[in-house]
Amino acid sequence: MAGVEFESLVAQYYEPLYQFAFSLAHDESDACDLTQQTFCIWAVKGHQLRDASKVKTWLFTTLHREFLGLRRRQTRFPHVELEQAEPELPVVSQAAISRHDTAQVLAMLARLDEIYQAPVALFYLQDCSYNEIAEILQVPLGTVKSRLSRGIGRLQELLGGDTTPPRAEPTHL
Amino acid sequence: MNINEAKTILLLYRPGTADAEDSQIAGALALAKREPELARWLEEHCARQETLRAQFRQIAAPAGLREQIISESAARAMAVSRQRRNTIFAAVAAMAAVVVLLIVMSASWLPHRSTDDTTLAVYRNQMAGIALRGYGMDFTTNDPEQIRAYLAQKQAPADYTLPAALQKAAVAGCAVEGWQNVKVSMICFRTGRPLPPNQSSDLWLFVVDRASLKDAPATGQPRFIAVNRFATAAWAQGDKVYLLGMQGDESAIRKFL
Repeated sequence: MAGVEFESLVAQYYEPLYQFAFSLAHDESDACDLTQQTFCIWAVKGHQLRDASKVKTWLFTTLHREFLGLRRRQTRFPHVELEQAEPELPVVSQAAISRHDTAQVLAMLARLDEIYQAPVALFYLQDCSYNEIAEILQVPLGTVKSRLSRGIGRLQELLGGDTTPPRAEPTHL
Repeated sequence: MNINEAKTILLLYRPGTADAEDSQIAGALALAKREPELARWLEEHCARQETLRAQFRQIAAPAGLREQIISESAARAMAVSRQRRNTIFAAVAAMAAVVVLLIVMSASWLPHRSTDDTTLAVYRNQMAGIALRGYGMDFTTNDPEQIRAYLAQKQAPADYTLPAALQKAAVAGCAVEGWQNVKVSMICFRTGRPLPPNQSSDLWLFVVDRASLKDAPATGQPRFIAVNRFATAAWAQGDKVYLLGMQGDESAIRKFL
């Protein structure tokens, strides 16, 4: 890919990719590395992508895959910062969501089961359609909707929002 | 569809997006127009969704990340092209040599190629990235001697020699960084210009052993290279290579040499 083309691609996507990476990794340097690694992979393999309309999906899929690899490595060789070893934040009270800042929202996102974190982050961050989220995470559309429904419900519950009731089984979505 | 089912469906609804085109969501939205209770819930839900979207989008990438991505990709591309050139030369040599020589040559080429990343260009880009992307000082002090003692204690380069002008700059602290398994001393200075919030230094000196770079600059004259908006000067003295960097241009950095 030509230098200018690459630079404009970086300019267009580095911020959303970083936001997605940060919402998954919850760590600035991991998020930077994931973003950088995604573009490095693009520099090597991006030319194989025939459909230019799939660039965004390709980048987010690649970043998510890299994140899963990072998570696997960290599980095998856990790296615990002293601050992280402190007790978890207390459960947020029944305050309105608007009273929470970004850090608190991300802390609550991190408390969701891992399978819900990526779809919920893509849902709120990128305005990705359900189909795009399914493509990025490489799971069926029904599974995405079901995970979104549960993830969003749980997140709002943690943030003290009123999600009443959704007790109905979401798999019919 | 009852009201509870509609709420479950609408949990996935984001106002202002194409979500409303989904047939189930469209059905639930239609029900909300007829059911005041659902309409009220939907209004609150939309407000919550908007707030959450805004909060997620406040995540800001660190300053300099974009430049770091571009510069590091360029450095890697150079390394790859160098590797490719080496591979072609190796192939030509192989055709002209006997099998035994081939094996010997391959053995001598492989380690050579594996050290491609120890070039000054890659080192410069990585150190610029550390300064631009944000870093944590391991030790903060305005006492140059304490910095030297700290670095020596951490077995990082500490017997460095500062240019006369740089000796006059105020120090803020230091950190020990890693580069190809060797330690790099990072000494943080303040130029005296106003600093952005959350930034405690704006001039950085990286010191590494000369042997760790395969194309260390010659002793004497500094080599000036800009890494995007980051100006750098690199020079060698004794067994050390020095890399001084700051945001600005060559004239700005020359004032500290």
